[in-house]
Amino acid sequence: MLFSLPTLAEPQHFSLAEKLLFAAMAVASAWLFWRRFGLVLNKILKSKKDPGFHLLPIGKRVWDFFWEVLCQAKVIRERPLPGLAHAFVFWAFCAFALVTLNHCAVAFGIGFLNPAGPIGGLYYYFAAVFALFCAVGIAGLFIRRFLVRPKWLGEKLSWESGFIAFLIFALMATYLASFFVFRADPSARTLWWLHTLALLTFLPIIPYTKHLHLVLSPATVFLSRGSFAQIPPLSGDEDFGLVAGTDLTQLVSLQAYSCVECGRCTEHCPAANTGKLLNPKEIILGVRAYLNDLGPSSDQPLLGKYNQQEAVFQCTTCGACEFQCPVGIEHVPILVGLRRGAVNTGAWEDQYGSKLFLALERGSNALGLSPAERDKFIQKQQLPIFDGTQEYCLWLGCMGGYDPKGREIVAAFARVMNYLGTSYGILRKEKCTGDPVRRLGNDLVFQQLAEANLEALAQNKVKRIVSICPHCVRTIQEDWKEYGTPPEIEHHSEFLARFADKLPRAVGPGFSPDIKPTEAEGTLAPEVRPSTSPHSHGSNPESSVTGHDFSRAEKPPIGTGTLAPEGPEKIVFHDPCYLGRYRNVYDQPRTVASLAGELVEAPRHRERSFCCGAGGGLSFLGEETGERVSHVRAAELVATGAQTVATACPFCNSMFRDAFASTGATSPQLFDIAQLAARSLPPSEPR
Amino acid sequence: MKIIVAIKQVPDRDAQVRIDAAGKWIEESDLQFALNESDAYALEEALQLKEKHGGEVIVLSAGPERVGQTIREALAKGADRAIHIVCDDLGLRDALGVARLLAAAVKPENPDLILTGLQSEDLGQGQTGVIVAELLNLPHASLILHVEKTYTGLTVKRELEEGWFQTIELPTPAVLTIQSGGNKLRYATLMGIKRAKTKEVRRATAAELAVDAAPVAVLERVSLPQKQKSTQILPGTPKEAAAALVEKLKFEVRVL
Amino acid sequence: MSGILVVQEAGRNRISFEALAAGRVLAHFTGQPMQTAAVGDPNSTVFVEISGQSPAAAYAVQHPLLENYTSDGYVVAFEQLIRKLEPSFIVFPHTYQSRDYVPRLATRFGQVLIGDITGIEAGPTFVRQLFQGKMTGSYRHPGDGPCFLSIQAGAFRADPPQAGTFTILPFEPEIPASAIRTKPGAPFRGSAQTVDLGSAQLIVSVGRGIKEADNLPLVQDLATALGAEIAASRPICDNGWLPMERQVGSSGQTVAPKLYLAVGISGAIQHLVGMKGSQCIVAINKDPDAPIFEVADYGIVGDLFEVVPALTEAIKAARQ
Repeated sequence: MLFSLPTLAEPQHFSLAEKLLFAAMAVASAWLFWRRFGLVLNKILKSKKDPGFHLLPIGKRVWDFFWEVLCQAKVIRERPLPGLAHAFVFWAFCAFALVTLNHCAVAFGIGFLNPAGPIGGLYYYFAAVFALFCAVGIAGLFIRRFLVRPKWLGEKLSWESGFIAFLIFALMATYLASFFVFRADPSARTLWWLHTLALLTFLPIIPYTKHLHLVLSPATVFLSRGSFAQIPPLSGDEDFGLVAGTDLTQLVSLQAYSCVECGRCTEHCPAANTGKLLNPKEIILGVRAYLNDLGPSSDQPLLGKYNQQEAVFQCTTCGACEFQCPVGIEHVPILVGLRRGAVNTGAWEDQYGSKLFLALERGSNALGLSPAERDKFIQKQQLPIFDGTQEYCLWLGCMGGYDPKGREIVAAFARVMNYLGTSYGILRKEKCTGDPVRRLGNDLVFQQLAEANLEALAQNKVKRIVSICPHCVRTIQEDWKEYGTPPEIEHHSEFLARFADKLPRAVGPGFSPDIKPTEAEGTLAPEVRPSTSPHSHGSNPESSVTGHDFSRAEKPPIGTGTLAPEGPEKIVFHDPCYLGRYRNVYDQPRTVASLAGELVEAPRHRERSFCCGAGGGLSFLGEETGERVSHVRAAELVATGAQTVATACPFCNSMFRDAFASTGATSPQLFDIAQLAARSLPPSEPR
Repeated sequence: MKIIVAIKQVPDRDAQVRIDAAGKWIEESDLQFALNESDAYALEEALQLKEKHGGEVIVLSAGPERVGQTIREALAKGADRAIHIVCDDLGLRDALGVARLLAAAVKPENPDLILTGLQSEDLGQGQTGVIVAELLNLPHASLILHVEKTYTGLTVKRELEEGWFQTIELPTPAVLTIQSGGNKLRYATLMGIKRAKTKEVRRATAAELAVDAAPVAVLERVSLPQKQKSTQILPGTPKEAAAALVEKLKFEVRVL
Repeated sequence: MSGILVVQEAGRNRISFEALAAGRVLAHFTGQPMQTAAVGDPNSTVFVEISGQSPAAAYAVQHPLLENYTSDGYVVAFEQLIRKLEPSFIVFPHTYQSRDYVPRLATRFGQVLIGDITGIEAGPTFVRQLFQGKMTGSYRHPGDGPCFLSIQAGAFRADPPQAGTFTILPFEPEIPASAIRTKPGAPFRGSAQTVDLGSAQLIVSVGRGIKEADNLPLVQDLATALGAEIAASRPICDNGWLPMERQVGSSGQTVAPKLYLAVGISGAIQHLVGMKGSQCIVAINKDPDAPIFEVADYGIVGDLFEVVPALTEAIKAARQ
């Protein structure tokens, strides 16, 4: 016996009193659970149906459920150690389903897992392994919450979490301890009752606390809207977005009650990290508090007491929150929904926002410029007009058509397309895709722009679009679907990566004389343009204009970068949110950038890339409060020591251009990947 | 306060206008139209007065069917109802002819206040509002940036030249022509557009209003201006360039 | 009915002389004689100054109720003068004042003002801008009533005033006090205490080309010489070299002055959107390819540290 393995001690022969006591306790526990859970469920079910929600295709849902819920992949990936600890607890709970059922059945003498039998014995050992890991895991999580205290868990210590941790630990401990006592021993009975007590205390606590996620989050993950940061359609004549409780949909309510308050969203939020009011976790909790206090039938405004308008309009829609969320909350549709509610009813008053909306109500671009300016650029660059014969429609976007630096990106990309012999043309009647108004919640202007563009594309029989702007790509491909069928579209990084083997590699370090590095606003370009003869100024007034004037600038001027005399140029690529998280395109721009030099990575890259601050229409709004998001990210990119920052989005480009201009003299060069690809091309004949 | 706002639909200021085949007007097909800018400010002023003092805002516009779009946008921004004078020959009428149409439509409404924009972006005459005042024998004030209702009538802020302003008191009913920039314009909202669907748009024709079209001043020909704006680089040494620029500032830009 | 009546405006000498010049062009085409009129006391120096040009005869329209301008008063007064003189053309300078009352006045005669004209051609045909200057329209006045015209500032070249002999004919209209329904207040300046770039007529704006805060006085001197407000692009305000309220651009103010002089500003889009509505844009920049030159009316390619002092001196000299 000494050397045989211990068996789980399962008490037998419960007295009638014991049976009655257990039954009473179980009923009380279940009743307490339902009293709250039924209410929550009712609030969720009473919420408005989600317009445009389809369960199909089911395959993706099943996979997400398997991967994110059962495998806990997201939880572990984003925070490996606590994630693994959480996974141990979760997996133990799964393993314990049978154990717990049997545990209760035993009280009435109808146990079905015999600890001494081959199946039961094996299963108890199987569960014991999980229990052991779970006990270690929960202890670790306890230490993290109460001793390490990461800041995104909030200032206040959550005693309920401590108590829950204790209960879980007790459940596991009493289970494991049962292996070390004899069945006949009274301590076996004591352990059984302790286990029961822990279990029946734990059950009703679940719906009253954030541990509700145990029950809800599997459903939340399974019932996601289907794609990342998807903005749902409005339904009927009285739907203006999230205005009041009556606008909260079942998914929004389900998600609000699923929040586990882990703070991953806040940890990664560019607004929350730069001293702004917005805290995505608090937004979700604000919706939950509204539901708790007023319910889904209330016509009280959602913005005001429970969430603040100012916070909602600080979101860059970078999607970091939604991407990180382990319980399947879709923050972007909620934030955009609240904005829609404010904008579609005219409640949002902001001078810059109004200016943007008015510009797009009448005009064709978000910058409020005349289309004649765009025509001038097209003529000057001799860009072909789309006439139905070309393979691609090259979509300029507002930045590509009007912004001097965006135009340089377009020109560079056009050069590459010419080199590759790809035919393309510009749509003359192109208007803003509506990205900024879509994200700011102006459905009226968005619809007008989407419909006008769809019509122009259809008239010109456009089949494929390529664009230098990830925001255009996203909006055309996903958001326009509400109003028609957009043509196929790809981002220029995808196009360029496909032809990477046909593009020349950079031979040496550095610059090509006919491309200027992007300079800061207001900087005199000649100073940032490396010259073959930097000291040529002097007698010849012509050359003093184009040469580098060292007489006034003692410090190295902005944007020059430092040329590495040997070795390949070090390039850091900044993942634009709308290309990475929104489109899942990470490798292609890197493929293109690596043609020009050696890639290094910023601490936050790929899925974890930190926003430049421009998204969500914010580049058109006024000054930020707190620190500028762009400055934080720019500093991070500079700290990599790379000579070149590569982007693949004209908005990122513009934000970093400003940031580099105001943060200091030794900034890296700034290029779009199209410019990097173009600068290794052989000099082209003027067309 | 019952306020009528006379608004005009004009070719979008960013639109590429082309001369028509006869050389007498512009090619209107395939052209984008929008609400005249200073009329937008007149509408805004009317809506703000209504929000402060209550009452009704009626939008009045003359033109072909396409004007309906602009009227709906004005209703969406908050006007209560509209009168559309349906006429396809607006281009043939001069400012007096258009003002007669508007005055005939205004008269039975007996409003307390009539607002129009200062001038239209297409013809740029800047007269219609003032003529309406004369036709209705009402006092008027032009180039108004700000309107305040007083016990007896109105106090308005009028823009004068070169950064000067003036306050004018006038009794109601009155006509005001509104200068752009006095208020912040509101943006159109989805809710406004949906609500506008149920608002009344009364239609009237020139014949019903008994106004004929014969103009006093005839627009005979439309042509392209001789020179387009282009950048002129002033060459020479810094001193020469500076001297050349001073000449331009003095005689072309007229700021010295 | 014959003759050309040019109505001048006290205190607006240059454009009044230009209206006279337009009257002469009209006289040349029609062969009709020209008379002038203006509101004011015939003995006042203002009136003398205005009429200091041929033709020899000028009507001094005077009445106590015309001392302060009201459209009602002017309409009544000029209606009587026109009925008395029966001219076939009446020419006004196109000013804020004439725009206010002439349309009303014309209506009294069943006429309509052909306003803001930039040229007079044989016929006579009157030329004016349409569609904000994108087109030109030629107007004719076929009827037999008086033809009301107003001329755009700067469209006709005014000769310098010459001392000459002229007769002032007083004209006293009958104006019942009840005819004047509006009560005008005294003119006042726009708020001057805070920076209001939006209503500034002249702006000198500085960008990163200035390099250091210590160089700013160079641009400040230029602004002072011009009598302009100083503004800046974002980096200048970000660095705290000028207060944020002076920032022009997408995150600052939107301006539309008569003159926008951009010094050392390359012209990033964020800046351009804030100043593209300016009537005249002048750019001084070292880089001939700087985007600011695409929107500029006049450009000087050169070192601002040389151009700006030269310009300041030249302006000071011109101002003397």
